[in-house]
Amino acid sequence: MKKLFFLPFALIFSLFFVGCGAPVTKEEEKTPPEEQQTEVSSEQEYSPEVGKFGGELILRVGADPKSFNPITAQDNITATVVSSIFEGLTKINPLTTKPEPLLAEKWVHSEDGKIWTFFLRNDVKWSDGEPFTADDVLFTYRDVIFNPDIPSSIADILTIEGETFTLEKIDDYTVKFTLPSPYAPFLTGMTQGILPEHKWKSSVENGTFSEQMALNMDFSDLVGTGPFSITTYSPGENIVLTRNPHYWQKNENGESLPYLDSLRYRIVSSDDTALLQFQNKELDAYTVRGTDYPLLKAQEQEKDFSLFNLGPTFTKNFLVFNLNTGERNGENFIDPKKRVVFENKVFRQAISYAIDRESIIKIVLNGFGQPQWGPTTESTGYFYNPDVSKYPYNPEKSKQLLQSIGYEDRDKDGVLENEEGEELSFSLITNGDNTERVQMAEMIRKDLTDIGIHVYFTALDFNNLVTKLTETYQWEAILIGLTGGIEPHSGQNIWNSGSAMHMWDPNQDSAARDWEKTIDTLFTKGVQELNPEKRKVLYDRWQEIASDELPLIYTVVPESLVAVYNTFGNLYPNSYGGVFWNIEQVFFLDNPKDRGGEK
Amino acid sequence: MLFADFFAPYSPDFENREYSYAVPANIHFFSSEGISRPFIYSLISEFDMYHQQLYYEDITQKNLIKFFVHGERHYVLGIIPTNLHFFGTEGSEPLYLFGADSRGRDIFSRILYGARISLTIGLLGTLITFVIGTLIGCISGYYGGFIDSVLMRFSELLMLIPGIYLLFALRALIPPEVSSGQMYLLIIVILSIIGWAGLARVVRGMVFSIKEKEFVLAAKVLGQSDTKIILYHILPQLSSYLVVGAFFSIPGYILGESVLSFLGLGIQEPSVSWGNMLSEATNIATLTLHPWVLFPAFFLVLTILSFNILADFFRDGLDPSYSSP
Repeated sequence: MKKLFFLPFALIFSLFFVGCGAPVTKEEEKTPPEEQQTEVSSEQEYSPEVGKFGGELILRVGADPKSFNPITAQDNITATVVSSIFEGLTKINPLTTKPEPLLAEKWVHSEDGKIWTFFLRNDVKWSDGEPFTADDVLFTYRDVIFNPDIPSSIADILTIEGETFTLEKIDDYTVKFTLPSPYAPFLTGMTQGILPEHKWKSSVENGTFSEQMALNMDFSDLVGTGPFSITTYSPGENIVLTRNPHYWQKNENGESLPYLDSLRYRIVSSDDTALLQFQNKELDAYTVRGTDYPLLKAQEQEKDFSLFNLGPTFTKNFLVFNLNTGERNGENFIDPKKRVVFENKVFRQAISYAIDRESIIKIVLNGFGQPQWGPTTESTGYFYNPDVSKYPYNPEKSKQLLQSIGYEDRDKDGVLENEEGEELSFSLITNGDNTERVQMAEMIRKDLTDIGIHVYFTALDFNNLVTKLTETYQWEAILIGLTGGIEPHSGQNIWNSGSAMHMWDPNQDSAARDWEKTIDTLFTKGVQELNPEKRKVLYDRWQEIASDELPLIYTVVPESLVAVYNTFGNLYPNSYGGVFWNIEQVFFLDNPKDRGGEK
Repeated sequence: MLFADFFAPYSPDFENREYSYAVPANIHFFSSEGISRPFIYSLISEFDMYHQQLYYEDITQKNLIKFFVHGERHYVLGIIPTNLHFFGTEGSEPLYLFGADSRGRDIFSRILYGARISLTIGLLGTLITFVIGTLIGCISGYYGGFIDSVLMRFSELLMLIPGIYLLFALRALIPPEVSSGQMYLLIIVILSIIGWAGLARVVRGMVFSIKEKEFVLAAKVLGQSDTKIILYHILPQLSSYLVVGAFFSIPGYILGESVLSFLGLGIQEPSVSWGNMLSEATNIATLTLHPWVLFPAFFLVLTILSFNILADFFRDGLDPSYSSP
C-alpha cells in the first residue's frame, strides 16, 4: 500500500495498520539468527536504473475514498489515491527524510527564515497540457488553503498564531513567501500538492470548492502534475489511474516517465480477501498482518515474492477517554460523574498500567510490534523521545492507584466501587473492520475486567466511529489509531486545544487544563524555533507531559510488513515511504503476461 | 448445557495468554513406565523461523487428567457454589481438549458455554415466532375480510424485504451500549420478527379451510365464543403441523444467530456463541495454521442435523393422524 508522503503533515485517522516506519536497525529478537529479514533500504544510495515501459500495477485500498479533493479530505484512502496525481513544491525523500526539490527547482531564504523565494520548474505541464506557473502556486495557497471558507486541516497547521503566509508572484516561475514568524517545518509544509488554477478558480469564487472533486466528478477535470491521473472509478471495485502523458520527469535517456501504463487500486475491505487475492497474484503487494507472516513466509520462495519488514510504523493505537465538558440541548455529552473520574490523571495512569502490551504484541501482532508510551514512535527519528513515563503491565499497581482515588472492591464481587457503591464502568468502542484493533480492544477489556472495571465493548464501523468522535461527541472511551509523519509539528492538529481533532475535549476557546496550556505553548514555540537542538528540547518536553498526563493512552506500535512480488525494478522499500513511494520509477522486469485475475 | 459450568474444565473467559493457539491435547495412556491413567505432557512453545508459535511436548512433565478436580469457582445451575469440575488437570498446565484460540482460551469449554446461547436462541426464537405466527394466522384466517387483508398485506411486506438485509437494518437500530444479555434477547426478537410472516400465511390458509368444516360451524351455531372456537376446535387441528414446523425451523434460528455473530453483529465478546467463535476462523492464516478453531462448526452441523432428523421423525409419527382426521 502506498504511503502518505503526500500528506506527511497532518495526522489522519488510520483505518488499518498501514504503515511507514523507521530504518530497521535491529533484527527481530525472536527470529533465529540464520533467518535473514529481506534487506530494507535504509541509508542506501538511490540510483534508479532505466526500465521498461508498460504494465499495470495493482494495489489495494481498504475502502472507498470520501472524495478526490486533496484539500478537504481527512481520510487516508483519498490521500493515498491523490498522492500520485498532485505534487508539491518540495517532496520528502523517504531515504533521507529530508526535503528535496520537486516542482520548485531551487529556493533561497532570508537569514531570519521569514522570506522564502521559490524558483519553479518551467518544463512542467498539467495533465491536460496547460503549463504550470506561479499563478497555480498562488491560487493553491492564497485562494484555497488560506481561504477561511474552505475547511482544511492543512490550513490549521500552516497557520502560526492565527497568522497566515503571504505570497507574492515575482514572475511566472518565481514565488515569494513571507512568513509572519519563523516556521521550522516550512519545507515539509511545501510538500502540499499544488492545484491547477484554470480548473478550480471559478468554484473558489462561487464558494463551491469544498464540494468539488466529489466521487462522481468528471475525471477530465482532475488534472494534476503527477505521474498518473484517474480515468475510471467504480465504487466498491476499483480506481484506475493511467499515466500522465505530459509528465515532466524523465529517465536518463530522456524518455518521459512513468514506466507503468496504469495503476489500479482495488477496493478490498477485508484483509483476508486481500490476502487471497495477493496469493492469486491479483494484487501486486499486500500489507501483511503479523498473523499472516508464518503463512506467507513459507510461500516466499515458491511464489516468488519478498516480505519486507520496514520497521515500526507511524501508526499509533491508543485508548482515549472523553473529557468533554460540553453539552447539547441541555444534555451532557458524557455523564459528569464519569467525566470527573476520567479527568483524573491517576485513573488514566491506572488504566495504562493494567494493559498487558506484551501479550497484545505477541498475540495480535504475532511478535511484530513494540509497546508505545509517548506520542511519537521510534520511526519519528530525531524528535523521538524514549525517556517518557512508562507504564509496564502491573495490575497490582493499577489497583493501588485506583484505590488511591477511592475505587476498591468493597463488596467483594470482583468489581471496584467508590464510597457511594457506584461501580467503575465505561463503554469502549472501536472500528470493527479492523480485526487487529478489535482483538486488541477485547484483550484490553479482559485486562480491565481482571482488575475490576466493567467495560462494555462494542465494535462499530469506521465512519460511525469518526462521527461520534468529531460530531456527536457521545462516547466514553475509544480505541483508535492515528498515522503521522516524522515532523512533530504534524501533531498540532491533535494536541492544540482549539483543534477539532483534539479528541478528548475538542474546539476549546482557551486551554482548560494547565498541561494543555503548556503543550499549546510548546507547539507554538517549537514551530518557530529554527535551531534543531533547541527545538528538540521543546518537543521532548511535550512528549514527557503527554506521557504523564495520558490524554491518549498509547498501546502498541505495529511493525510494517509488506509482501511484494519480485516482478518490479527500482524498488526501494523504505520505512517512511513504503514500497511504491517512487511510483514513477517503478517498472516491470518482464512483460507482465502471466498475471492471474481479470484485467 | 445447563451444567456447562461443571463439565467445562474452564470458564469461557479463562485466558492463558502463554498458550496462544495451543494444539489440541494429545492424551496419552502409555508412558515410559508402561500403562498409566490418562495424562498429557506439558507444552513448551517456541517461535520457528516463520514466526509461528510451535508447541512441543515436554515428556519429562506428566500431568494426570483427573475427574472431579478443583478449579475455578462457579455456580452449578446458578445457585450451588462449588469449585469442582468434571475433569481437568491439577496444577498449572491447562488441558485443551480441542486446542486453544488466539488468547489461550479453551475451545472445548467455550463450545459448551456457547451451546447455551446457540441452542436457546433456536428454541426461544421458534417459540416466539410460532406464538406470533399462529396468533396472527388464526385471527386473519378466522375473521377474514378487512382484518385478513391488512394483516396479510403487512406480512407480505415483511416477506418482500430480503431477510438478511432486514436483519442488518434491525440490528443497526440497536444502540451500541446494550449489554450482552440484552443483545441476546434482541437478537431473538429480530430473528422472530423476520420469521413469523411465512408461518402466519400458512396458518391462515389452514384456518380458512378448517373454519368451513362442520364441527366448527356446529360450535358456532351452539353459540361458543370466537376465542373458544379458535383455541378448542381449530388449534388442535393445526398442532401436528406446528410441532413439525417448529422442529424444522429451530436450525434456521441457530444458523441465523451464527451468521449474525460471525459477521460481528450478533453476540459479542465476552459472551460466547458458536457463531462468534467461528468468526476467528475467517482469517485464512489462522485457518491454515490452526484448523482446530473450526471445531464449533462441527458442533453446529451436528446440532442442525439432529434437529432435522428429529423433525423428520415427528413428521412420520404425526402424519397419519393428520391425513385422516
